[in-house]
Amino acid sequence: MPLDTSAYSLALLRVDGRRWNELRRVHAQIRTQAAADGSSYLEMGHTKVMCVVNGPSEPGPRRGTAGGGGGGGGPGGVAEVAVSVVVAGFSSVDRKRRGRGDKRTLELQTTISNALAASLHTHLYPHSTISISLHVLSQDGSLLAALINAATLACVDAGIPMTDYVVACTAGSTSTYAANDETADPLLDLNHQEEQELPSLTVATLGETDRVAVLVCESRVQASRLEGMLAVGVSGCHQVREILDQVVRDKGRHMIKEGTVEKGMGVEEMEVD
Amino acid sequence: MPREAEPSLNERQFVLKALEENLRLDGRTFDKYRALALTFGDEYGVADVTLGRTRVLAKTSAEVTVPYADRPLDGIFTITTELSPMASPAFEINRPTETEILLSRLLEKTVRRSGAMDTESLCLVAGQKCWSVRVDVHVLSHDGNLTDAACFAVVAALRHFRKPDTSMEGGVLTVYTPAEREPVPLSWLHSPFCITWCFFGDEGQMALLDATWSEEQVRVGSCTISLNRHGEICQIAKLGGTPVEAVALLQCTNVALTKAKEFSTYLDKKLAEDAKRRDKDGLMAELSAENDR
Amino acid sequence: MATENPLVLPGDEIDPSLIPTHKTKPLRLGPGLRHVPPNQILPTLAGHLIADHRKNALYVEYNGGRYIPSPSDLVIGQVTRSAADLYYVNLTPYTPNASLPHLAFEGATKKTRPQLANGALVYARISLANRHMDPELECVSTSTGKSEGLGPLTGGMVFDISLGLARRLLMARSRDVGKVAVLELLGAEGLAFETAVGRNGKVWVNSESVKTVVVVGRALKETDEKELGVEQQKKLVQKLIKEMR
Repeated sequence: MPLDTSAYSLALLRVDGRRWNELRRVHAQIRTQAAADGSSYLEMGHTKVMCVVNGPSEPGPRRGTAGGGGGGGGPGGVAEVAVSVVVAGFSSVDRKRRGRGDKRTLELQTTISNALAASLHTHLYPHSTISISLHVLSQDGSLLAALINAATLACVDAGIPMTDYVVACTAGSTSTYAANDETADPLLDLNHQEEQELPSLTVATLGETDRVAVLVCESRVQASRLEGMLAVGVSGCHQVREILDQVVRDKGRHMIKEGTVEKGMGVEEMEVD
Repeated sequence: MPREAEPSLNERQFVLKALEENLRLDGRTFDKYRALALTFGDEYGVADVTLGRTRVLAKTSAEVTVPYADRPLDGIFTITTELSPMASPAFEINRPTETEILLSRLLEKTVRRSGAMDTESLCLVAGQKCWSVRVDVHVLSHDGNLTDAACFAVVAALRHFRKPDTSMEGGVLTVYTPAEREPVPLSWLHSPFCITWCFFGDEGQMALLDATWSEEQVRVGSCTISLNRHGEICQIAKLGGTPVEAVALLQCTNVALTKAKEFSTYLDKKLAEDAKRRDKDGLMAELSAENDR
Repeated sequence: MATENPLVLPGDEIDPSLIPTHKTKPLRLGPGLRHVPPNQILPTLAGHLIADHRKNALYVEYNGGRYIPSPSDLVIGQVTRSAADLYYVNLTPYTPNASLPHLAFEGATKKTRPQLANGALVYARISLANRHMDPELECVSTSTGKSEGLGPLTGGMVFDISLGLARRLLMARSRDVGKVAVLELLGAEGLAFETAVGRNGKVWVNSESVKTVVVVGRALKETDEKELGVEQQKKLVQKLIKEMR
C-alpha cells in the first residue's frame, strides 16, 4: 500500500490529518500495576506499550542472554539495567511471532538499557539489578520512542533517582532519498504508514536539553536532510517531556489528595486542587 | 565463559587524562584512522581488511536456491558474522554476545537494508530459482572498531565477487563454470561505509574516530554513521550512552562523509589494481571476446 | 652471535659443545628444554639456545606465548576483587587469578594494610607457583620485611609488551645483553619518568607529564613490534623526541 505523499503538498496535511509539526495523541498513566515497584502505560497514537520496573534489587539467577546488558552486574559498582521487550503477537497487522533471540528485539533492549543507564544514577545501587520489562500491545510506528518513554515513566514511578527524563520521538522527511527537492518538509512523530514510505529517525534527548541520548536512523536519506529532521525531533522530544511531566505531576497531586502520601517538603508550592 | 578483560583503574584514568590534553596513546589525532589495508584473495569475493591490529576477513559465496515464498522476485542475500574465540577469549561459538548481535544488525542495516545490492537481479526463475548470496564475516583479531573494518570488508568482498554466468533457454537453466563463461559481477548500486565515533568525557564532549580496544573500553558512548560517497546516510546508530549535543552529532556526520569518500576512493583503487593483476596477460579480454561470439 | 646462540627448534639435537660444563655445579636446565634420560637434552620450544657458563645453565630464549608464573618473578597485576584476607589479582587476562594476602605488604597489619580498589595495580613478586594451583604473590621481602620497591602502583599507565621484551628489560645489563636501550636513551634526552617492568609482559610508566608517558609507551611498543636493534632504537627515540617538541 504505497502512501500517497502527493496530496501532502496540496493541503500540507498528512494522511491522518496532522500538520508537519504535530504529535499524535499521547496518553500515559503511571502506577498501573500495584505489584511492581514502578509501572506505566503509554499510548502514542495507536502504539500502545506497557512497562513494569522491578528493583533496584539483588540480582537474581542469571538468565543467559535475556538481559539487555548495561552494567553486567556492575563493573565499577553500578547497578545493571536489564531490559526485556516482549512484542505481542497481536500487536501488528500480520500476526508474526518473534522468537526470543530476535536480533531486532535484542537491539531494542540494548538501546533502552544503555540510554537509561546513562540517565539513572546507577552508581547509588552497586551490585543490584533494575529490571525493566516492556510489553508492546499495539504497533503503529515510533515503537522505540514509545518504549523509551514508557520505561522512563516507570522508572520515575519506581522512584529511581535520575538526571532527567529520557524522552524520545521520531522525525521524518517528506522527500524520498532519491528526490532531491528542496521543498521537502520535516515531519514529526511518524505513524506506521509514514515510517514504511519515508526516511525517518528516532531521537531521544535528556529532558529539555539538546543533548541526544539515542539517535537511530534505519533508512536512506540525504545527509543534508539530517539537520532539519534532528531539529524537529529534538523539539518533539521537548513536547513529549512536557506531557510526561504533566502525567507524573497529576498523579502526584492525585495521590496527595487521596492521602496515600504525606505532603512533604518541596511539595508545598505544588497546588492541590 | 571467561569474562572480558577490563582495563585497570590506572589505564582508565590515564587514557582520559591524555585525551583531555588532546593526546592518544598511539600518537594519532582525534579524527585519524589507523593504517587501513585491504588484500583480495586468489578467489573472487575474499577480502582481508586490517585496521591497525584489527583484522577482518569476509568471504562471499553464491548458490542457486528456491526464493522465499513471500518474495518470489527477489534473490536471497545474507550476511553472517562470527566472533570466534580467536578474536578474544570472551567470545564463544554459538552464543552470540551483545557485540556480535549489534555488529550483525549494523551490517544488515548498512549493506542490506540500504539496498546496496539489487536483489531482484539475483532472481533466475520467478518463484522457483534464485541466487543466494552469502557473506561470512570472520573477525580474526579484535583491537577496536570492528564495525568499520567489518563493513569495509563486506563491501569490498561483495564488489570483488563474481558469480557464475547463467542462461535460460526453453525453460532450462544453465549455470556455466568459470572455464565456459567468465563469471559476472553482482549488480551493485552504491557502496556504504560505516564510520564510528566514540565519545569520551562526562558530557561526551570529546569525539574520536577509530578507537582502539583500550579506548573503546573507557568510552561513554558511540555513534556509528553509515554513508556512501553520494552523501546519503544509510543508517545512524547511537544506541544509548551518555547524551551528546545534537550540534556535535551533525558535525560528526559531516566529517564522516569525507571519511566515507576516502574509503570509497581507496576501495575503487584497490579493485582496479586487482583487476589489472588478474588481467596480466590480457587473458581476460581474450576469454570475454570468446564469450561474446 | 649466531654461532654463539643458535636457533633451535623443538626436537632438534643440541650440539654437545654448546652444553656448558662446570666442575662443581650441576647443569641447570631453564625453560624450553627437557632432559630425556639417560643423557639427552631436547628443546621443546623454538628460540635461541643460550648457555650461561658461569651458572652452568642452559635455556631457550623465546618470544611469545602466555606468561606462566614461576617463583620470584616480578609481575604487575590488577586487583579484581578483595576477599576476607586476600586480594585476587589478575596477571594475564582470561586466566585464573593469583592471590595476594592482605598482610603481604611492608609493615602491614590488620589495621594498616593498604586498601586497594578493584582495578588497582600492584607490583609484586611471585612467592609460590605450582602447576594446577593458583599462584601466590607478595609485596614484601620475607627475609628483610622491606617492600624493596614493590607495592601498589598509583597513577601512570601500563603498556602491554611481549614477554621477550619484558625479560630483556629486566636483565641486569639490558643494553649489552638484552639489546634494549630505549628507556636509557629517552632518559638521556631529558625525559623524567619512572618505570616498573612486570615479567608478565607489562610495563608501568609514570611521569609528571602525560606527554612523556605517551612517548615512552610508543617507544616501547614500536621497539617491540618492529624488533628494533639498538641503532634503530636511537633513531626512533630521536624521531619521537622531535615530534614531541
